[in-house]
Amino acid sequence: MALRMVMGNEAAVQGALAGGCDFYAGYPITPATEILEEMGRRLPPRGGVFLQMEDELAAMAAVVGAAWGGARAMTATSGPGFSLMQEHIGYAAITQTPCVVIDVQRGGPSTGLPTLPAQGDVMQARYGTHGDRPAIVLTASSVREAYTTTRKAFQLAERHRTPVVVLLDAVIAHMREPVELPPLPEPALNPWPGSSGTEPPFGAHPFTPFGGPSPIVVTGLSHGEDGWPRTGAGQATERMLKDAIAGIAEDPSLTQGVERYCMDDATVAVVAYGITARAAHAAVETLRAEGERAGLLKLDVLWPLPEAALLEAAEQVDGLLVVEMNLGQLVMPVRAVVGGRTHVAHLGRADGLLLSPDVIARRLQALTASVRS
Amino acid sequence: MKLSDTIRIRLTGRGGQGIMLAGAILADAAMRDGRQVTETQEYGPEARLGATRADVILSDRPIAFPEVEQADILLCLSRGGWLKYGTQVASGALRLVDVTAVAREPGDPEVRSFPWRARARELGDEVVTNMMALGTLQAVTQVVSVKSLREVLQERIKPALVAANLAAFDEGVNLGRDELSAPGVATAGRDAGIRGGEIHD
Repeated sequence: MALRMVMGNEAAVQGALAGGCDFYAGYPITPATEILEEMGRRLPPRGGVFLQMEDELAAMAAVVGAAWGGARAMTATSGPGFSLMQEHIGYAAITQTPCVVIDVQRGGPSTGLPTLPAQGDVMQARYGTHGDRPAIVLTASSVREAYTTTRKAFQLAERHRTPVVVLLDAVIAHMREPVELPPLPEPALNPWPGSSGTEPPFGAHPFTPFGGPSPIVVTGLSHGEDGWPRTGAGQATERMLKDAIAGIAEDPSLTQGVERYCMDDATVAVVAYGITARAAHAAVETLRAEGERAGLLKLDVLWPLPEAALLEAAEQVDGLLVVEMNLGQLVMPVRAVVGGRTHVAHLGRADGLLLSPDVIARRLQALTASVRS
Repeated sequence: MKLSDTIRIRLTGRGGQGIMLAGAILADAAMRDGRQVTETQEYGPEARLGATRADVILSDRPIAFPEVEQADILLCLSRGGWLKYGTQVASGALRLVDVTAVAREPGDPEVRSFPWRARARELGDEVVTNMMALGTLQAVTQVVSVKSLREVLQERIKPALVAANLAAFDEGVNLGRDELSAPGVATAGRDAGIRGGEIHD
């Protein structure tokens, strides 16, 4: 292995391939296009399938179909395309289809600021599709993490049988950093564990694509574990959804998706993710050098929200500052979780410019002053 | 905030001038020199001609925030880039610009203008302007080695175009050395901790 300058989007592709991805369907969109281009170069020589579709609805539909055909499938897009994909993300959720969606966030809504970064899709990634569904949303704040997170997304999609969203932002996606990535595994048939034919195809059972001993009915209608529609009353679907949500809430690889920086003796702390966590890290460095007891909770998992870590921090500090490139999204569930145990302030913007370390440091100082008075 | 072991470089120009490629090559070369590096970029929705920038940070320690808020070194190839991205510079920053982007401003020794675009045309194709400018940046600032830059350039550029780009790079190094022999330059960028006046490969 050698150190190489790698772009975030390229690292995500390598992470996907390391996670077993062998199918990509997508539609180009800034700032996610490099993922599509790199998949187009890399998948076919490895025996995988690459499809450029007519739009994002079709791309997500192809991903769901490919998974049922036995593939480890993914797509990547940005805000406008992510909106179009929501219908089929919901379909993937009710059909318990493992797949991965990367959303490289840019300024919105709509066409918005096509080339500038944002973190405005945090709620859409969780609640964008109608109905209730289990949701796993991961994020990354370095090129290395773009690799590890995307690789992990495939493991989680398989374990929990649900679409996993990797939320990147335009800065992380387009930045280059020196990283040493492990060599890709040999392209190999990567079959799903076969079904004995006696286990039901849905519910808390491993995903079994088409081609097994028994026919499978896959429908977006409310259905039972056998797959047959149950539209008179939806208890069977409700139970499966509840089981899936509970399974996700208890998965330690998700609940511990937090990195603590300078938290041991912190009296105020930033909660941040993605590129904003990098700025917050620099802000905390500055404040520490000035003798202030500031800390950082960097979230690597946004959904399920790492509640235990937030509660623990809330018990310790005099104030939390949620910093994000939107006008107030993750701050809402953070406030709900903290429940008044500490003061929760918000620092956000949605104009395509980054929240700088200086701005964050000043806001933290103001928070410190206000909670002391 | 400013750390003496950290050098923040902004490259700016217009879409099509190869600013992204120049940034990627500079960052890759600095990595091979053993530095910590980040490279970020920004461009407008235009496919061509809109202002673009690439920010490269070099440091001897891990880099938390990868965007340049105040550049120690600015390299500018276009008027649009100068207006949109050229103002975010530290005091005492060294600014290397193409003569068509901004003329040498009397009384401002830190703005150094070079005829990169015109020389590139004379060499046969303006498309090599970015590599010529990189050569000058190397010669004037020494923030990255000629060896690493030439190595990366040869790897990153299409084989058929390597010779023309190397020739442009070498011409840029010469332009930088000529400039260094002009009075006042040895101190330019001193505040940013950049060595000036030394010439070595």
